[in-house]
Amino acid sequence: MSVKYIPVQWNPNKYIYDAVMLLGVALFLYVFLYAAPGILSHERPINSQVHNARALGACAFVMLTVILCIGPLARLDPRFLPLLYNRRHFGVMTVFVAITHAGYIVDWYFAFSSSNKYEALLFANTSYGQLAGFPFEVFGVFALFTLILLAATSHDFWMKFLSPPVWKRIHYLIYPAYLSVVAHVSFGILQDQQNHAFTVIFIGGAAAVGGLHLMAALKERRADRALTSEVAGWVPVCDISEMKDGFAKIKLLANGERVAVYLNDGKLSAISNACAHQNGPLGEGQIIDCLVTCPWHGFQYDVTNGQSPAPFTEKIPTYNLKTDGTRVLVDPRANPPGTYVEPVPVGAPS
Amino acid sequence: MSDKDRPFFVGYLPAPKALRGLLLAVCVLFVSGLAGFGLALGIAQDDPGDGAFRFDYGRQTVTGVVELTPYPLLRVTEGNERIPAGHTLMLAGGGKTNVESRAIPLEGQLAQVSGVLLERGSLDMMQVRGGRNGLQAAEGEVPVFETIPLGRWKLAGEICDGKCLAGAMRPGRGLAHKACANLCLLGKVPPVFVSTQPVDGSEFLLVTGPDGGHLPESAYHYVAQFVSLEGEVERRGDLLVLRMDPKTLEVLD
Repeated sequence: MSVKYIPVQWNPNKYIYDAVMLLGVALFLYVFLYAAPGILSHERPINSQVHNARALGACAFVMLTVILCIGPLARLDPRFLPLLYNRRHFGVMTVFVAITHAGYIVDWYFAFSSSNKYEALLFANTSYGQLAGFPFEVFGVFALFTLILLAATSHDFWMKFLSPPVWKRIHYLIYPAYLSVVAHVSFGILQDQQNHAFTVIFIGGAAAVGGLHLMAALKERRADRALTSEVAGWVPVCDISEMKDGFAKIKLLANGERVAVYLNDGKLSAISNACAHQNGPLGEGQIIDCLVTCPWHGFQYDVTNGQSPAPFTEKIPTYNLKTDGTRVLVDPRANPPGTYVEPVPVGAPS
Repeated sequence: MSDKDRPFFVGYLPAPKALRGLLLAVCVLFVSGLAGFGLALGIAQDDPGDGAFRFDYGRQTVTGVVELTPYPLLRVTEGNERIPAGHTLMLAGGGKTNVESRAIPLEGQLAQVSGVLLERGSLDMMQVRGGRNGLQAAEGEVPVFETIPLGRWKLAGEICDGKCLAGAMRPGRGLAHKACANLCLLGKVPPVFVSTQPVDGSEFLLVTGPDGGHLPESAYHYVAQFVSLEGEVERRGDLLVLRMDPKTLEVLD
């Protein structure tokens, strides 16, 4: 949470996250570039520019694959949510690795001619009408520019400036970018390899991304079915006995919105399930220091009015509640963000 | 749903004790996994072959007769330890450039050529120095060299740019290298056909257009692929020249 924008709001967990990430990347590159060649029995080494480009390209692919696995993994098992916390740093690091890969390629394969190397990248191979020999470089160019766009707009300033829904839509471009990387690799280096270790790792990585997303989607679909209500008036949420103090129950309304109903100090309150920051599932968080805390990035809200504590300014919609015997009912019409709603004491009719 | 029994991580607070073991295991798995992938991919790199710039030979200077196919060749008359007399040497400029503008005025004449050799097995090429130091007219009697027609051949193999193939780049062929090869060929670097079966003892043939021109643009789509083609083959010293018929180009599986 922030009231002013600074490049990075460092904390110990971010230092640890980044240190582990950098150590992994450094080890990948060191082993690929300096340890592995000693095992190979090549009469002459691969040109260092090509070798560097391959190491960085492979590293970027592995990093992107890991990044895309984190989201569904955290949906499948919330214990992996800490991996999501600082994922944007992982993404920005991946972009630097990918840019360096592209730099080696352009400065090697497309240099040394009388043409501009960036123009040469576009005109050297124009065999767009065939699969074998297709100019796979264009897929890499698209993926790289998309990743740069995502990295450049990853800061919270841009989310506030663009609004969370627009920002979120832009950042869904990660999926076309990943598909483009898959095409870049499939039409490029995979066509040339005699040793198929990379093919196996590549297919395994892409399948892991696809498989985890599918499993997470199926899990959410099952959960949504259990939460869905087609009722137009007051919507039953759960029985009071199912609720635990400091925790929430989530209800999916007929209009697609999700409501998080919290029991706080013996009283019920309802807020939107979507965090104003990145639409994190507030109903999967918990109350800490009297404030609902988002499980993704720790943004906090007063459960009675949906407002972040001063000096923060984030606001989310609230909902009206009532009880009918031991049943908790929610009014599906959301109140404007930041509207105070008197908490409903448990057991008291309202 | 939030769960009372589940440890709850908040980024700006210390990690819950119940999660620390798992997070430590994830960190170890991540770091060792990346190192493992680096090793697996690093040792999976294919051998790029023995082609190379032979800077270790030092600068080579030889004399011979300049021929244009239209790609410039030198039929060596006065060689040295590395480049014997009687050898036919393909000539290229620095980077992805050619020496045609300097070779055309010397066609059929005796010339002295100086540069660095590229060598890959029986294939070689010279990267000629810039200016007159690289290619200049030489004094002496011009011998007559014959060109021996070997008839029409149907061949299977790959069209490459001869310079990268000879060792300017390692690896210097294949589909991942296609754009680079095309750029070399656009720079009129001599193209070389690598035949799967030797033709009159050689698997490397300088390849030209059908009418004594440069490689036709339609052939660029077939560069770096496994193809079959037909054309007239001729022998110029120890170098074979294939005048390809672009209509016969076919991609092979």
